[in-house]
Amino acid sequence: MLILSLFWLLIGLLIGALANAAKLRPAAWVHGGRLGMPGLGALVALFGGWLGTLLLGTLFATATAIWIAVLGVALLPRLITWCNAWLQARSSVP
Amino acid sequence: MDDTQPSTKQGIDQVSPATKPRRTLKLGQRAAQATLAFLLCAGFFLSLFPWGRSLTRSAFLLPSLISASEPAPLVLGGDPVRFSRITISSANGPVFLDIYEPATPPPPIPGGREAIINIVGAGDNRNVPQLINLSQSFAHEGIVVVNVGTPTLFQYKVSAQDGEAVVQAFKLLEHWPGVDSHHIGIIAFSVGGMLACVAAADPRIRDRVAFLAILGSYFDATSLLHTVGRRAQDVNNHTQPWQPITTSLYVLAITVSSLLTPTENKLLQKAFPLNNIGPPLTAQQQAQLSPNAAAFYHLLEGDEPGSVDHNLTALSPQIKTLLTQLSLMSVIDQIRAPIHLMHDRNDPSIPFSQAQEFAAALARIHHPYDFAAYGIFSHVEVQPNLGLAQVLSDGTKLFQALNSILLVGS
Repeated sequence: MLILSLFWLLIGLLIGALANAAKLRPAAWVHGGRLGMPGLGALVALFGGWLGTLLLGTLFATATAIWIAVLGVALLPRLITWCNAWLQARSSVP
Repeated sequence: MDDTQPSTKQGIDQVSPATKPRRTLKLGQRAAQATLAFLLCAGFFLSLFPWGRSLTRSAFLLPSLISASEPAPLVLGGDPVRFSRITISSANGPVFLDIYEPATPPPPIPGGREAIINIVGAGDNRNVPQLINLSQSFAHEGIVVVNVGTPTLFQYKVSAQDGEAVVQAFKLLEHWPGVDSHHIGIIAFSVGGMLACVAAADPRIRDRVAFLAILGSYFDATSLLHTVGRRAQDVNNHTQPWQPITTSLYVLAITVSSLLTPTENKLLQKAFPLNNIGPPLTAQQQAQLSPNAAAFYHLLEGDEPGSVDHNLTALSPQIKTLLTQLSLMSVIDQIRAPIHLMHDRNDPSIPFSQAQEFAAALARIHHPYDFAAYGIFSHVEVQPNLGLAQVLSDGTKLFQALNSILLVGS
């Protein structure tokens, strides 16, 4: 499982890099965003791989890691940005 | 999204010398987006949809079958395998089962595991490397595999009563931990096809057999003997020379042995030993055979190709009845499961024409089936050192057959 986990991390890194190329990085992620996307991709892919293992079996874990990583790099940055904006808006209310 | 990179409008500048790099940048962005969209769809399809899951499994399994060894991705990405050897009893005697199963509990999706009963041909083939490789590969993919053997098969005899062993193995698998009782199929090799068909036609299990895959089996024992006697087979209305291997002759001789006298048996086994070509019987030895046994001898020896019909007629009623019992003709109309027929065109053990007869009979009764002719097998084992063209051509057919088999439990 260690080798598989490392493989999923690698896949996630590549998907994060692709997300950078596809300009899925939010405008707000100026500082460290270029590294942030591969990092996020790797973490989400690892999570997807383990989720796939638990729900579908090891054989389908890599395919699960791939689609969850793509979904993660496409949606999570937006969600994080939106949450930050919402929290800032809330904290700025007197 | 990225404010550090130019927007689309900025990129459209016909005059600027920077247009080309910007266009390339835009193209790269689109390509990356398309790749991500493709990965999302492919990953989703291959992991969550039954068709996709069976494609994933087939893609992992095919290299394992063609190379006759487990590839690293399958070992790494598949389940660990547990092996056990058990013996159960049936009305026809003991049944030896080699069980290869995933060592992990079944995943919640799709729930129960698929199970496959392998019926290997005559002889004790439990330790044949390609069979072990096939069984382990299936088990790595989350499938429970049971290889069935009987004392009769181990003695190279073919008996319709051995179908009972397969029925008992099927019933055992229905209650095996983790197995979905509606996802149990049978794969038969060589003469195992007869046992598989007899079991799949048995009223106790016939409505629950998910599929029947048959590689290199015979269909009609009488026409098989006819082909053996002629040393020629008719394929697509063309007569081709065909030379049986010694094992086929030995199996035929040993299967009818109970209907011959001890002297006749001794002579036939001398003429048709298991692993080498025996010397033909002398005129004096042939004189010791009854007309029935002599006719059978000439059919196996192939020394009277012009008198095959006469020799078949001269067989005793008991042998004729046995040949009918060993033929699949009488049971195929009682089988409910879809049948996947596979046969090598140059099979030296059982002629290809048998598979064509089988397919024609299934077509006549409108039974769901598919039939694929291969060139990569030597009877039921994959040949070593295959050419790329052959692998690509037959690999595609094998992939389709595997996909049909694996779709059941996906």
